Amino acid sequence: MSPVAEHSRKSILVVSRHAHPGSSLPRSALDTALAAAAFDQPVTLLFQGEGVLQLLPAQDSRAAGVRNLRKVIDSLPLYDIEAVYVDSAAASAFGIAPDTLPASARWLDAAGIRELMASHDHVLGF
Amino acid sequence: MPLTYALLVLASPTSGHSSLTAARFARALLARGHRLQRVFFLDNGTLTGLATAVTPQDEQSPLQQWAQLAEEHQTELILCVSSALKRGLLDSTEATRHERPAATVHPAFELGGLGLLVEAAQTADRLVTFG
Amino acid sequence: MLLHTLSRSPAHAALRDCLAVLAPGDALLLLGDGVYAALAGSEAAALLADSGASLFVLDTDAALAGVRECLTPHAILVDDDGFVALSERYSRQLAWY
Repeated sequence: MSPVAEHSRKSILVVSRHAHPGSSLPRSALDTALAAAAFDQPVTLLFQGEGVLQLLPAQDSRAAGVRNLRKVIDSLPLYDIEAVYVDSAAASAFGIAPDTLPASARWLDAAGIRELMASHDHVLGF
Repeated sequence: MPLTYALLVLASPTSGHSSLTAARFARALLARGHRLQRVFFLDNGTLTGLATAVTPQDEQSPLQQWAQLAEEHQTELILCVSSALKRGLLDSTEATRHERPAATVHPAFELGGLGLLVEAAQTADRLVTFG
Repeated sequence: MLLHTLSRSPAHAALRDCLAVLAPGDALLLLGDGVYAALAGSEAAALLADSGASLFVLDTDAALAGVRECLTPHAILVDDDGFVALSERYSRQLAWY
C-alpha cells in the first residue's frame, strides 16, 4: 500500500444502523473505523436507528462465544477514535439512558445528524 | 470532468441482486469516462469472489460479471481478508497457511486488508456503497 | 446534499432511518426492494414526497418488481447511466439497506 499523501486526507463518516448480534455489519463498521484510525485518517462513527442497540451496557458474550461489541466500542478512544455520535431519537425510543453510553459518545438529533453527514467527504452506510 | 470512483460492496451475491447492480454501475461509470480505482468487497460481499459458486444457467452470475469487468478494464477487485477467511474464501497462500484442502478465491480477486479501503477513500472523488 | 440509495422494502427500518435525515436538496434513488416505496398511493410514497427530496427509481429494478407502470408521478426512472450521473452531481452517497 502506498503512503497516503498529507494533502489528500478525506474525512470518513461510518454510519452503523444494524443491531448485533443478528448481523455481521456492526462488526464490519467498527473494523472499518478502526482501520481508518490506524492509517491516521479522520473518521467519525454514528450509531443510528437499531444500531444504538450495540451500545447497551450490560453485554456479556461469554456464554454465546462471540465478541462483546460494547467492549470494542468502549476501547475506541484507545485507537484515537474520539468522534462517536448516537442518534438520540432512536436511543430514547429503545429506552437507552444517556448515562449508560460510552464516555466519548455524544447525543445527536436529526438536524445534527444531517449536519454530520454534510460535513464529511465520504459517508459509509453499514 | 472525469472522476475517480471506488466502490464498496457489502451485499451477498446470493441475496437480492445488489452485486449485479454494482457491477453494472461499474461498467456505466467507465462508459462515462470516469476512472474506477478499486472495488472493495467486505462482510458478506466477499462471497462474490467464491470461485466454486455455480449459478443456474438462466441467471447472471455475479462472479462472472465481476471477473469479466476485471479482465476487460484491469479493475482491482479486493476481498477483505478477515471477512473472506471467515467465509472460507482462501487464496493458495492462505489455504497452505491454514491447512485447508484448496484455494477457493477466483483469480480475478485478491485478498487485502481494510487499509486498501481506507486508501481508496482517500484518493477517490466518489465512494459508492452497495449493501 | 446527499445521494441516498434505499434497497429495502418500506416495512424495513431502512426507510424510517432514511426519512429521519432526508431533506430538500437531497436525492433518493430506490433500488432492489426499495422500489416498492414509490408505489403510487402508498404511505411510503407520500412520506417521500413530504421529504422534499428528489425521487428516482432504477428502471431495471422497477421492471423486475413489476411496478414500472404504477409508480408515484413524482418519481423519475433512471437507467445505469442515470445512476452514475446522479453520483456525479452529489459528491456523497449513503446506502440504506
